[in-house]
Amino acid sequence: MVLYNLRMALKSLKRNPVLSGLMVGGIALGIGVSTVFVTAFHIFSMNPAPEKSESLFYVKIDNWDPNRPWNDDDPSSTPSQITYRDMVGIMESDIPTFHGGSFKTSVFIHPDPEIGRPYKALSRMCFADFFQLFDPPFEYGSGWDRNSDSGPEAVVVLDHETNQKLFGGENSLGRMVRVEDREFNVVGVLKQWRPFPKYYDPHNGAFEKPENIYMPFEHFRPLEIRSAGNTSNWKDFDWSDFDQYLASEAIWIQMWVQLDSPDQKGAYMSFLNSYTDSQRELGRMQRPNNNKLLNVMEWLDDREVVPEEATSLMIISLLFLVVCALNLIGILLGKFLTRAPEVSVRRALGASRLSVFVQHIIECETIGIFGGFLGILVAVLGLRAVNSLFAGETFEFALDTHMLLQAILLSLVAGLIAGLYPAWRICSIPPATYLKEQ
Amino acid sequence: MLNMKQVTKVYRTDTVETHALNSIDIQVSAGEFAAIMGPSGCGKTTFLNVAGLLDTFEAGTYHLDGQDVSRLSDSQMSRIRNQKIGFIFQSFNLIPDLDVYDNIDVPLRYRRMSSKDRRASILQALHTVGLDARKKHLPSQLSGGQQQRVAVARALVGEPKLILADEPTGNLDSQMAAEIMELLSRINQEGCTIVMVTHDQSIADRAKRRVNLLDGKVVENPTETPAPIRSVAGFAGVKSQR
Ligand SMILES: Nc1ncnc2c1ncn2[C@@H]1O[C@H](COP(=O)(O)OP(=O)(O)OP(=O)(O)O)[C@@H](O)[C@H]1O
Ligand SMILES: [Mg+2]
Repeated sequence: MVLYNLRMALKSLKRNPVLSGLMVGGIALGIGVSTVFVTAFHIFSMNPAPEKSESLFYVKIDNWDPNRPWNDDDPSSTPSQITYRDMVGIMESDIPTFHGGSFKTSVFIHPDPEIGRPYKALSRMCFADFFQLFDPPFEYGSGWDRNSDSGPEAVVVLDHETNQKLFGGENSLGRMVRVEDREFNVVGVLKQWRPFPKYYDPHNGAFEKPENIYMPFEHFRPLEIRSAGNTSNWKDFDWSDFDQYLASEAIWIQMWVQLDSPDQKGAYMSFLNSYTDSQRELGRMQRPNNNKLLNVMEWLDDREVVPEEATSLMIISLLFLVVCALNLIGILLGKFLTRAPEVSVRRALGASRLSVFVQHIIECETIGIFGGFLGILVAVLGLRAVNSLFAGETFEFALDTHMLLQAILLSLVAGLIAGLYPAWRICSIPPATYLKEQ
Repeated sequence: MLNMKQVTKVYRTDTVETHALNSIDIQVSAGEFAAIMGPSGCGKTTFLNVAGLLDTFEAGTYHLDGQDVSRLSDSQMSRIRNQKIGFIFQSFNLIPDLDVYDNIDVPLRYRRMSSKDRRASILQALHTVGLDARKKHLPSQLSGGQQQRVAVARALVGEPKLILADEPTGNLDSQMAAEIMELLSRINQEGCTIVMVTHDQSIADRAKRRVNLLDGKVVENPTETPAPIRSVAGFAGVKSQR
């Protein structure tokens, strides 16, 4: 019966190819536009570290003002970064498989004068474990080892672009780079790396590129480097005094740990709680324990990294699809009602109201499906246009099977929206009325 | 076969109330070939629509093939139409997009039937009406008489017990009308009950029984009928005149 109805639907579509083309085109436009924006939304809300997203945890500690929560509107909120002293304190723990705080800053790089003038580059101050936690791909060499953290040794990891700039893309392991007023030894060069979003530090632009160079965290102290990212504070101190800065309640460090089992996670959580308990005894952290371990997706949710525009554009594009479908209602109604005599004959010959309804819904869904396939083509072209806006990036907006299925599903829904009322109208006509004349 | 008691059908519009069927009593026995006659507007089509479960009625009872069909759901009525009743209309009412074969196929599509059985039934019906060679023609490629023969084939393909025909020869010239009547008589002889509306006395004369309708009421007039008529009993032993 479905096949029969399908055949009837195709016959009906063939009868008026121009009208059918317009209807299919309308759905295709709606599907195309909505698929582009749903895909964009999907990419913005993608899991950037699918393999590790359940074992990487962002650490939050509540060192905030006893009189005011971190977020006035949400008493259960915990500050989004931690202080230097707390990072040092909790890095005493040997429970995590890997751990380390890091922050973004900017430093002067002094290239060989033959190559160019000194320039400002973004740098991430981090620990050896950073490269284990986030697995950036290496072109040459690797990250430094834990021993180089203390000291700290004058080692540096360059990103692909910086290695291009300074060394023409050659294997630069062992070469020296001058950062600020010191020489650093290149131990690793990254390949193109574009975590999307930049989950390890989504502050100041969750979809920004990663930093250009990576240096052992403790160099920040002799170089007196401060964070170039967000810093928040609630308790006054003398900002010009670097030691006061380090001992302050100012938060500017992103702390990550890898905990591979629930036991490990439980143990680390108790460690954090006993750490904050002990700090409370020292007169700090007068708020109740409110430590948090957020896995990657929880953390991105917490930061609300999906741009509001992506969400609202997706919703608007879906509404646009609904409008496209609603537009079809009038056309379909007219088309179906001119067929009243034929339907009445079918009714006389034994078609129930339901089978007439089903026949016409299937016709609408046929239009929907054709529109869906054409719409996928529109979406592919649309995404190509979007990609050309992001030319030179290593990520790409592309359709996957999930999105294809979704486009087909949406086209079925659109067909249903367009078809329900006309199909109901045509199935409820009184057959006797239309049999008298033809 | 068909037994209506006190059936009333009222059409209400803003200004008038038409008693299209005015507590009509009529019985048609199995195997009969009845011609319904009467002036225009007397309710003949309305009677066929009610008899064919295409329309509901306000009062009275209606038994079809022994079953009370006075108050049924849409799907029950559709099933009875599909399995027990065949319709033939004055204006043929073929589906213009479907070829002859597919038109005859329509009633079979609304019952469970294998495609093999369907095909056999359709070819058989085509053979009965003598249109074997035209099964790929569209209705627009056929003469009026041929179209009506397709409609007859479509009415009988489901092997109904009752065929309801509303002026089946009204749009045909006398030659073609005679052919259709021939066909209907033959179908009737094979056991199918036929109720036919007509304006044409000579056509009506070919039926075994005549029923006159006037203002929604039955006026049976045995003196005008050439064959002895018992209004309730069947027609066993009576030959149709040809
Ligand atoms: N849908 C309707 N709404 C209102 N009145 C109707 C409707 N259908 C039929 N009638 C009225 O019911 C009466 C019977 O109509 P019906 O069509 O049964 O007549 P008929 O005997 O078939 O006439 P004809 O020989 O012209 O076909 C007429 O007076 C007609 O005006
Ligand atoms: Mg009539």
